[in-house]
Amino acid sequence: MPLIEVLPNSGAVRAPGYAYVADTGYDPSKVAINPKDRKRVSHRPGGPPSGNELSARQQTAIARRIAELQRDNDPKQIINPPVKPIPKTSATKKILLSNKTIKNWLDDEEAMLQLQQQAPPPRDPARAARALVNRRLSTLASVPGTPFEANSPVPSIPAAIPRIEDATMSDDPLLSISKSVPREPDRAEIEALLAVPPLPYSASFATSSAGGTPQRFFCDNCGYWGRIRCLKCGTRVCGLECKDAHEGTRCLKWA
Amino acid sequence: MAPRGSKKGSSDPTQNQTLVLDNGAYTLKAGLISSSSQILPTYEDCRVAPNCIARSSREKRVYIASELEKCNDFGEMAFRRPVEKGFIVHWEAEEAIWEHEFLNAKTGLRCDPKETNLLLTEKPNCPAVLQKNCDEMVFEQFGFSNYYRCIGPTLNAYHPPTPSSLSSLPQECLLIIDTSYSDTTILPVYSGQILHSAVRRLSIGGKLLTNYLKELSSLRHYNMMEETHLLNEIKEAVSFVAHSTQAFSKDLDRTWKGRIGDKRELDPSIVVDYVLPDYEHTSRGYARPHDPVKAMMRRGLQPMQGPREDILPLGNERFAVPELLFNPTDIGIQEAGLPECVMQSLSALPEALKASMLRNIMVVGGNSLIPGFMERLESELRAVTPSEYTLNITRADDPIKHTWLGAARFASNPDMLKSVLVSKAEYDEKGSTWLGKRFATRAANDPLEL
Repeated sequence: MPLIEVLPNSGAVRAPGYAYVADTGYDPSKVAINPKDRKRVSHRPGGPPSGNELSARQQTAIARRIAELQRDNDPKQIINPPVKPIPKTSATKKILLSNKTIKNWLDDEEAMLQLQQQAPPPRDPARAARALVNRRLSTLASVPGTPFEANSPVPSIPAAIPRIEDATMSDDPLLSISKSVPREPDRAEIEALLAVPPLPYSASFATSSAGGTPQRFFCDNCGYWGRIRCLKCGTRVCGLECKDAHEGTRCLKWA
Repeated sequence: MAPRGSKKGSSDPTQNQTLVLDNGAYTLKAGLISSSSQILPTYEDCRVAPNCIARSSREKRVYIASELEKCNDFGEMAFRRPVEKGFIVHWEAEEAIWEHEFLNAKTGLRCDPKETNLLLTEKPNCPAVLQKNCDEMVFEQFGFSNYYRCIGPTLNAYHPPTPSSLSSLPQECLLIIDTSYSDTTILPVYSGQILHSAVRRLSIGGKLLTNYLKELSSLRHYNMMEETHLLNEIKEAVSFVAHSTQAFSKDLDRTWKGRIGDKRELDPSIVVDYVLPDYEHTSRGYARPHDPVKAMMRRGLQPMQGPREDILPLGNERFAVPELLFNPTDIGIQEAGLPECVMQSLSALPEALKASMLRNIMVVGGNSLIPGFMERLESELRAVTPSEYTLNITRADDPIKHTWLGAARFASNPDMLKSVLVSKAEYDEKGSTWLGKRFATRAANDPLEL
């Protein structure tokens, strides 16, 4: 049986004709809304959910809701422009006919990153260039006091950062305020900061800190404080009136 | 050696006019800038058009971008936006929109791409493949003569800090908070260059706020899931940001209906009735103070003759919706609020830069127009910054057009513009991978490229 193997014959980045989807572990938005093993929840290592913890069903519902709120276009509503654009080259034809959504592209990017981390291709010009940049960075960072080059491309540090030369000129240590003024970053440091490549999209989010403000809970029905919890599904409501409305419409018990 | 094709305009291939395009997810901001004129561009030179294709099922027609200005019936209108999460994704639709707005435009910004430079802005952290698609479309499909693509908000550094001094451009340290339709981003800019490692993003933007209001109104009153345009209008008309967490709880109490047996009066200073347009006699709704009697009439007691009106009462929705910008965890989004995002971004910078960034914060983007937003942001930021730092935060005069104006000012300077533009001949010779790298590294300033 013949063995077919794709030999790397060009320097271009290998772009697969299919999309890898990063397996990032448990994703509540993809889980069935009724987890099969819910009876065993209390036997899991963490024990039964207590207090403010959310059940798997609630997490699923929240993840779905957020995904719905963040969606840009309705996949069911496909609106085509009245006049179809005529692609002029093969590259633009591919772009114009692509039906990928942003989620596909971001998944692709994620998968590409993981692929690069797992198996660095040996002779990839993009990587080589990046390595060059990195090497440049490291030399810059390790030699901080380099004298300025005459035709340096970076604008010199102007006076926006407070520089109190005069105060340090007087030798009196009591008058020196240089300690209270933060150290001015040197050129190499700024150079290094500016040369950092952009973060991937998924890494650009600000993470919520554990010590932040505690989670607030609101009534599922009217938006007032969620003071009581629905016994059947754990959603918060504000009072009996909203509880009745909640059970009539949104209770996850039968979802 | 220049290739043969580029010899035609060998001495100076840059064109005299530049199309400055801030291609936002909700609206595109565009204007033609001539680099020879001595007059600085102003907000008036900017044209704002919706960046979408809309289909009206009632009128059975499709609207493209600025055609929507003539539309009077937004009922059940479906939109298709080519820009998702701030990045151009659906080029088929975007092509039609650009074609309609610039290339075949009967009036306004008609231009011939072969004689025009394009300055296009993008969001930070754009996936490289999408950037490549964009470059290929600009040169191969539209055929612009010269082109520069950069992260839009960084061009805000080219606004003069004071009207008189133009010499010190770009501003040295500038922290941009761009709270737009897709999301909210924090961008520290140093001499017009973005500090990539400190860019932070909050996934709350105008789109999410509109969708949230749509969901709440549909749950509590009428099903309005198809009325995106109307809910966006309502959001812009009535929403406000409570000026502190305490004020938020107080307002929440004042808009509460009370328990069974302990009914409370709704506070008419917060609760409003929004009179919905019927798209027959009126095409825009309006808000008026809450009137309990009329709200009762809403429940089927309206007269058969005479003008009917449909009322949407809005209580805590008015401030609970924009509150998400400061407390995303309220609906379970596990991200930090806006002030915390700013601090996380700054924590990636050296101490001295941090101090100068805090001294020069500029807020752009449509969400900053929500009343109370700036006050809340400033007071919460003040609370988390160390006391020895000065905090200086301003909102742009026109937060929607401000980034465009920064880009236009950049484009009106022929020297700065020439140093970054890439010509079609260069692209044809070196290809899109090279172009992507050139725009990704620090454009003309980078020693790697010289």
